[in-house]
Amino acid sequence: MLWPFRSPETRKRQLAASVEHPAARRYLETPFADRRTPVWEQDYLVLDFETTGLNMRRDAILSMGYTEIHQGRVQMSACTHHIIKVNIPLPPATVVVHKITDDRMNAGIHLHDALHELVERMTGKVLIAHFAQIERSFLHAAMERVYGHKLPLQVIDTLALEKRRLDRSQQPVRPSQLRLGNLRQQYNLPRYGAHNALQDAIATAELYLAELSHAPEQGHKLKLGDVLEPG
Amino acid sequence: MEIEQLEIRDYLAQCPPLTELPDEVLNELAMGLEIQYARRDTNVLTIGAHNGHALLIRSGAVEVTLENGELYGQLSEGDWVGHRSVIRGGTVSMTVRTLEDTLFYAIPAPLFLKFMENHERVRRYFTERKPERLRNAIEEIRGSEGLALATQRISELMKLPLLAGRNHTIRELAVQMNEANAQSAMIVSDDGALNGIITDVDFRKRVVAEGRSVDIPVTDIMTPDPLTLKPGNQASDALLLMARRNIRHVPVVDNGQVVGVVSATDLLRSQSQSTIYLVGDISAAKDVARLEALSKSLPKMLVTLVNQSMTARDIGHAITSIGQAITRRLLALAEQQFGPPPIPYAFIVAGSMARREQTAHSDQDNGMILSDDYHEAEHGDYFRNVAKFVSDGLNAAGYVYCPGDIMATNDQWRQPWSVWNGYFTQWIESPQPKALMYSSIFFDLRCLYGDASLLERLQTGILSRTREQTLFQAFMAGNAMSHRPPLGFFRGFVLEKDRKNASADEGMDLKKRGVVPVIDMARLYALAGGLAPINTWERLDAIAEAKVLTPSRVDDLRDAFEFISMVRLQHQAQQIEKGRAPNNYVPPEELSSLERRHLKDAFDVVSSLQDSMASHYQTDRFR
Repeated sequence: MLWPFRSPETRKRQLAASVEHPAARRYLETPFADRRTPVWEQDYLVLDFETTGLNMRRDAILSMGYTEIHQGRVQMSACTHHIIKVNIPLPPATVVVHKITDDRMNAGIHLHDALHELVERMTGKVLIAHFAQIERSFLHAAMERVYGHKLPLQVIDTLALEKRRLDRSQQPVRPSQLRLGNLRQQYNLPRYGAHNALQDAIATAELYLAELSHAPEQGHKLKLGDVLEPG
Repeated sequence: MEIEQLEIRDYLAQCPPLTELPDEVLNELAMGLEIQYARRDTNVLTIGAHNGHALLIRSGAVEVTLENGELYGQLSEGDWVGHRSVIRGGTVSMTVRTLEDTLFYAIPAPLFLKFMENHERVRRYFTERKPERLRNAIEEIRGSEGLALATQRISELMKLPLLAGRNHTIRELAVQMNEANAQSAMIVSDDGALNGIITDVDFRKRVVAEGRSVDIPVTDIMTPDPLTLKPGNQASDALLLMARRNIRHVPVVDNGQVVGVVSATDLLRSQSQSTIYLVGDISAAKDVARLEALSKSLPKMLVTLVNQSMTARDIGHAITSIGQAITRRLLALAEQQFGPPPIPYAFIVAGSMARREQTAHSDQDNGMILSDDYHEAEHGDYFRNVAKFVSDGLNAAGYVYCPGDIMATNDQWRQPWSVWNGYFTQWIESPQPKALMYSSIFFDLRCLYGDASLLERLQTGILSRTREQTLFQAFMAGNAMSHRPPLGFFRGFVLEKDRKNASADEGMDLKKRGVVPVIDMARLYALAGGLAPINTWERLDAIAEAKVLTPSRVDDLRDAFEFISMVRLQHQAQQIEKGRAPNNYVPPEELSSLERRHLKDAFDVVSSLQDSMASHYQTDRFR
């Protein structure tokens, strides 16, 4: 029987044959999470990148921070943070925002090492990011460079979740309202002063728990398919 | 990334009992942490369920209820829940429900238990009941007694030594020591150099017990070349030396000459001596101007007493003794001017002076109970004059006129015994709001001067009636509910039960919200039990002894009272040291996080006793 489209699993199996790195291969060989899984039972990897800019072709990942959600709790033991070595001088504006200087960056690790580790940790989990198209596009760009292919992703965007909720309630949405800090405040989450990729990943993870908790019936009826980003 | 750079770690470091833990321990804890969230109105822990995490509230607030549905407490940022069930193996015995959207830092049970096992302080914090935690806190503060002694020099404490030559006999020395009322003698050579020391104990140990003749030279029984101190040494040095070597007398030597001796008794006595001197000076004062001058040293005295880490109870006694001495001296001076009283009378004081709980100059509350032989035409002028003299004198000495005019100068409060007795009968038998105001003042009375039996007869009658009048008790209980402790602290503000009353950001009135509720409760239970003491501490003792309340609850209340009073006293001492007038408003930020925690425990104790009192007397019927 022919499917009108290739299922993700089929695409992943095909890709696995052409990708050499063992971490990437294992990632591709591991089945995606079932869309019928209750959201509170799923394991997640919550991710934040800091980049030199917003253009994935020109700009580079400066640092990555991630943590995991397991059984509905953010796991501090899973916190990981890497500064990435970039071969271009840092634009001064970036330094101001991210407080990452050239010196500190030279102490970082190579992108491919960071990527292998990330892909390994992503295996069997669903990715979460706030305004996830940044993470998604930079991750895909990195994958293309390192593995020669974009690996398929299962992604949840905490910003999009919120926007969909507001759209459903037919409230006008101001863009600033959807910023991580403003949303956190709305859910009575503490204000964090410092910004780095890991702190923001933790902040995003907490926000995701808050969003689920505030869903009808505290999210206990929600399935993964209800919150995943399309495609 | 290093965990140190995350805010979570910094947050942990400021939450008792995690404060003052070494960095690596905090890091380990932070790295093992899990974070969970619950929206408002969620049962986070349910009775009977299994719990595998100790939870620290990071933001938000929860309500804890017991199995019978009774509210156990409301907790907020920085508070812990779930640790009891983890310690007991996991079964939840109290329901925890969120009042707001709440973020928790959850420590998995194995990590939490290991952490408790390795850190005594942490274990104590989590295993002690709140009242016990409070008790230990008080002891810990008391434990710093050495600090007070450290500030005092030996030269301020030492006494003149009794010196004796080497050629004296034991008998001669014993006679000399007896005459000088000395417990020790220094044996010196002709050039004044110290050769040895003899103390009372030596006569027992080395003479009587060993059957020696009393006619041999003192050098035979002296302790040669004793340990010595210098005048510039600190009192704490003396204390250490005595404790280590088990000796009770130490000679003080300066430039090779014996200049003094310090005994263990002197060290102990030094703590309250300063007040005794002041009271002595007051009793010898020749006129009001002198009293006024002496009274000015009262704030400084408070600072000294607080720094000597005396208990709030003792400080109250000491400070009150100054006001009492001034009042008594004024009455004596009045008699010098107007002659002896024509009929017996009692000069009575009310309020904090009667309870012996003053911390500073207060308004004067006083009155006169005259003998029933009183005739206005014959005696009126005398007592009016004395009352005016004393009241003016007190005002000059800083005990300002009572704004409510409760003073012996007011005819209403300068009356014969029968009139007073009538007042009390009315207050007790037909309690009314105005009467209740007087009750809280006039049920704390003490006679400072004159014929005390007048007051005693009045009080005996009062107590037998208050004991029977349950309606009066219920009114008093209602009155004792008018000031309630704050719930605690919440994001640096005082957490109020009554949200409307949110003036708390300037500081909380520790007197109204902590001290007065305990005073009111102690008064009620003392009157209900027919117990005579006036001082709150003594009332609490009597209440426990007569089992009006469970002794253990009284113990808890006593500790809460001590802690709240101590925080208030320290605040006042600090203000005085900064040259400000002391008040009762303690800003939360002035307190360490640990002090806040203990204060919260103390408030909880007071609050829960108020609740039992309210339900016993059903005070809501009278509000």
